[in-house]
Amino acid sequence: MSAPTIAPSPALDGKVRGKKPRFQLTPYSLLVPATVVLLIIVGWPLIQLFVISFQEFGRPQVFGAPAPFVGFKNYLKVLTDPSFWNVMVRSILFCLVNVAVTMVGGTLVAILMTKLNKFFRVLMSTGLLLAWAMPALTATIVWGWIFDTSYGVVNYIFTHVFGLDYQGHSWLINPLSFFLVATIIVVWGAIPFVAFTVYAGLTQIPDEILEAAQLDGARGTQRFRLITLPYLRSIFLVVTILQVIWDLRVFTQIYALQGIGGIRDQTSTLGVYIYQTALSSGNFGMGGAIAVITVFFMMAISLYYVRQSLKEEQL
Amino acid sequence: MTAATVARPTGTADAQPTIRRRNSRAKRRAVSILLSAISVLVFIGSVFPVYWMVQTSFQPNNEIIGAEVNFWPKNFTFKNYGTVLLESDRAQFLPALGNSLMVTLLTVVVSLLFAFLAALAVTRFRFRSRRAFIITILIIQMIPGEAMIVSIYRVLDGWALLNTIIGLTLVYCASVLPFTIWTLRGFVNGVPVDLEEAGMIDGLSRAGAFWRITFPLLAPGLVATGVFGFIQAWNEFLLALVVMARPEMMTLPVWLRTFQVANGTTNWAAIMAGSTLMSIPVIVFFLLIQGRMTQGLVSGAVKG
Amino acid sequence: MRKLSFAAIAAVAAITLAGCAGGGSNDAPEAEKPGNIRVWLVGTDTPQAARDLLKTQFEEQNPGSTLTIEEQSWTGLVDKLTTSLSGSDSPDIVEVGNTQAAAFTSAGAFLDLTKYYKELGGDDLLPGFVEAGSYDGKFYAAPLYSGSRLVFYKKDALAAAGLSVPTTLSEYISNAETLAADNPGKSGLWWPGQDWYNALPFIWENGGQVAVFKDGKWDAQFNSAASQKGLAQIQELMTKASNAPKDGNETNPQVGFCDGTTLQLSAPSWVKWSILAPTDADTPGCPDQESNLGVYALPGVNGGAAQVFAGGSNIGISAKSAHPQLALKALKIILGKEFQTIYGTNGLVPALKSLASTLGTDEVAKAISSAAGNARLTPASPKWAEVEASGALTDFFVQIAQGGDIDSLSKALDEKIESILNG
Repeated sequence: MSAPTIAPSPALDGKVRGKKPRFQLTPYSLLVPATVVLLIIVGWPLIQLFVISFQEFGRPQVFGAPAPFVGFKNYLKVLTDPSFWNVMVRSILFCLVNVAVTMVGGTLVAILMTKLNKFFRVLMSTGLLLAWAMPALTATIVWGWIFDTSYGVVNYIFTHVFGLDYQGHSWLINPLSFFLVATIIVVWGAIPFVAFTVYAGLTQIPDEILEAAQLDGARGTQRFRLITLPYLRSIFLVVTILQVIWDLRVFTQIYALQGIGGIRDQTSTLGVYIYQTALSSGNFGMGGAIAVITVFFMMAISLYYVRQSLKEEQL
Repeated sequence: MTAATVARPTGTADAQPTIRRRNSRAKRRAVSILLSAISVLVFIGSVFPVYWMVQTSFQPNNEIIGAEVNFWPKNFTFKNYGTVLLESDRAQFLPALGNSLMVTLLTVVVSLLFAFLAALAVTRFRFRSRRAFIITILIIQMIPGEAMIVSIYRVLDGWALLNTIIGLTLVYCASVLPFTIWTLRGFVNGVPVDLEEAGMIDGLSRAGAFWRITFPLLAPGLVATGVFGFIQAWNEFLLALVVMARPEMMTLPVWLRTFQVANGTTNWAAIMAGSTLMSIPVIVFFLLIQGRMTQGLVSGAVKG
Repeated sequence: MRKLSFAAIAAVAAITLAGCAGGGSNDAPEAEKPGNIRVWLVGTDTPQAARDLLKTQFEEQNPGSTLTIEEQSWTGLVDKLTTSLSGSDSPDIVEVGNTQAAAFTSAGAFLDLTKYYKELGGDDLLPGFVEAGSYDGKFYAAPLYSGSRLVFYKKDALAAAGLSVPTTLSEYISNAETLAADNPGKSGLWWPGQDWYNALPFIWENGGQVAVFKDGKWDAQFNSAASQKGLAQIQELMTKASNAPKDGNETNPQVGFCDGTTLQLSAPSWVKWSILAPTDADTPGCPDQESNLGVYALPGVNGGAAQVFAGGSNIGISAKSAHPQLALKALKIILGKEFQTIYGTNGLVPALKSLASTLGTDEVAKAISSAAGNARLTPASPKWAEVEASGALTDFFVQIAQGGDIDSLSKALDEKIESILNG
């Protein structure tokens, strides 16, 4: 993983400048391939996205009709639309809950892995690996099937094993329970990544340090807080920020679940909302405005991370 | 599973030798059993959907949709796989598999190569727009791609790249590159510069040093970041749907969707069989690289 | 009405552009060079026999040219059409759902077919669908076929409850409730909450409307007194007579019918074939129920057939088609008697009124033709497709099925529909 570093990164500049390379390899030439791809596929569409967010841009404009500029009309419309704010709040809550559950769960599983004997460790990692490998789309279809109103195994178990009346119970119709199912799907798919990463991090903490702490009389929780956590801080920071970005943009799981059941208006998150506004409804101008607002919003959240990186790496 | 072989002290918070040694050992046993039990629960929780998908795919469709729920196929059948693979009036599996494999592997290779070069630039050199580049890379990851589909479509159209493997590969590369560069940066940082310098003293050019020395040392990092490209390219649905509009260019996620018919009859067993088929290559890929991956993930992050 | 005029400009612009770009303008009498015509048909409604016919006839009539049918799925269709029809890799002929047609006709995605109207069938074409495929006085997308909604029932269940086929809407409602009450745990009328197509007749029959256009603005009508009456009936049926998932959609209607938990259901006419599918089919039915399967057209308030929603498809030529002349020839085959007859014999209403007799004379056919005679469409706004895509209607009826408050829900729905249609 990346950025925040524990050991200061090797200071290179002096050496690079000092020696005269035989072959003039400039940083710019190294950046060319990636930059070209990004400029073509992201850069240009991004400019377009920004421009149309100030235009009246619907399906006729896609087919070549002139697109008049309307100033901040799209932005005003989005920002004054209560359903946008509902979506925003919902997305943030969903993201927070999922990131928290994933991080805590993943860390606990990782710690558990360090305490197991080989057989159980291999068993558990195999399971996690399978969950990780399952594509999000198929995972959502399968989970949707497990929670199916008429033929789902969950209702069957609740009804026949626990004797509760869950026959024909819809898990998706109530927004809270919809997001419970969505959270299960997202967390289930994300825990393996966190668990493996944190576990691998745990195994890299030098044993001497832990042993020394133990000799000094530090208890398990103390050792975790005083040694493990600081040591893994960089991992936690990177993994958390990735989870935040991914969970805030979650699309596939919500989109596929809405196809199965539930009330869209009460369950849409940012990704799905943008899709519905821009593509399904053909309101590309508004979709663009929402996307731009989302990016600014995410930038605001990740400001801390960026600042942290800047500080530690002397960017 | 993971390559970590260090035996860790297990659950030994109070492990100092004391008089109550016996007691403590019993307690440790109990804790160990409890932890093993929890790990089995985690295993079941992780595997259950996979199991459910596979076992459903082996049941006749009319037994799936019924009041009775079978936890194991009563009448084991391969029929659903036949439906999915062989029926000629449906979208074909094999061409879709071929397209998906091509796009995915190309995406992984190209994005890793380009990201490696870019990561070298931002870690091994100081230059004027370095900081701007790194921040841009982070911001790009935050853009909701759903809003740009039409624009991306037009760009590809303009370059005559619609319905081509290269076109879709480029799109996926673009969506994976920021993450890959961002992550590889940490790994490159972890490779000591001294090694490159030693190579250069031995007569390698700077480019040669990067290629012969740094690149191989990055293997775990490349594996770890490659996985993301793989998952992204393998699963993406919306762009694949619009960019690969011709049936012969369909990828697997789009293929899977053809089994869900709105307002009609849904063949759940076939969908499960299709999902299973779609998951197998990912699982194989993961099994192949798993050990190196987790190792790689961390060496990058910790050593930074 | 600024929107409309832009759209009109767009349409004109697109047609002019297509005329310039498409290798010889539309009007040019000289024949085009041979090429490959790509036809997008959606879903599996068009029978294989019809597809074969189209391909062989076209290739016979146009030596050197070929025709490829590319089957699309309804999921994501609007997205795919938006991009593909506007790009350089556009298919030549595309099928589109009749309620989605306006989104594309108004955007200038289709070639203007006004002057071929007569050749394509003229006044013999289903009028509602001609309307759906026209915009601003021009004809862009021809009718392809129409489905028709019928009520399927179990004869033995109706007889056991001492009921007969209902002749009025209120009898229909009371029948369903009696069936549900007599058979606990079963659906007197299987009605999943997302299935809003089935709800429209109740609104229309009570004198309500979905939305009306007046003084240059759309005015949604779900909150009108007449609509409220219909909505109350819908809610009664959904809550008292149906055991279907309240937020479910209308897929797999045959399952409940075959396992005996569904006693009646209202569905497109082809559901008959799902019910009677062989037991070892991919999606098995219950052919042994054939003699027990009854069918009737939804009755209206005052008897006769109710005004039902006419689902179906339109078909048009892409404005970007590289071979508009060839495409037109293919379109003529599609709207020809031979091709359309195959729809009729497969239980779909052909695009040509004169072919109604091909539906046959059995119970189903009679029900289809009486239902089709009274079929209605959704509001003729280019933005109606957006209303559907927004999910507002499915959301609304799911909430109605849950027993939500009709008055406040329908008020909110009206606001939402108006904001889209007038937005």
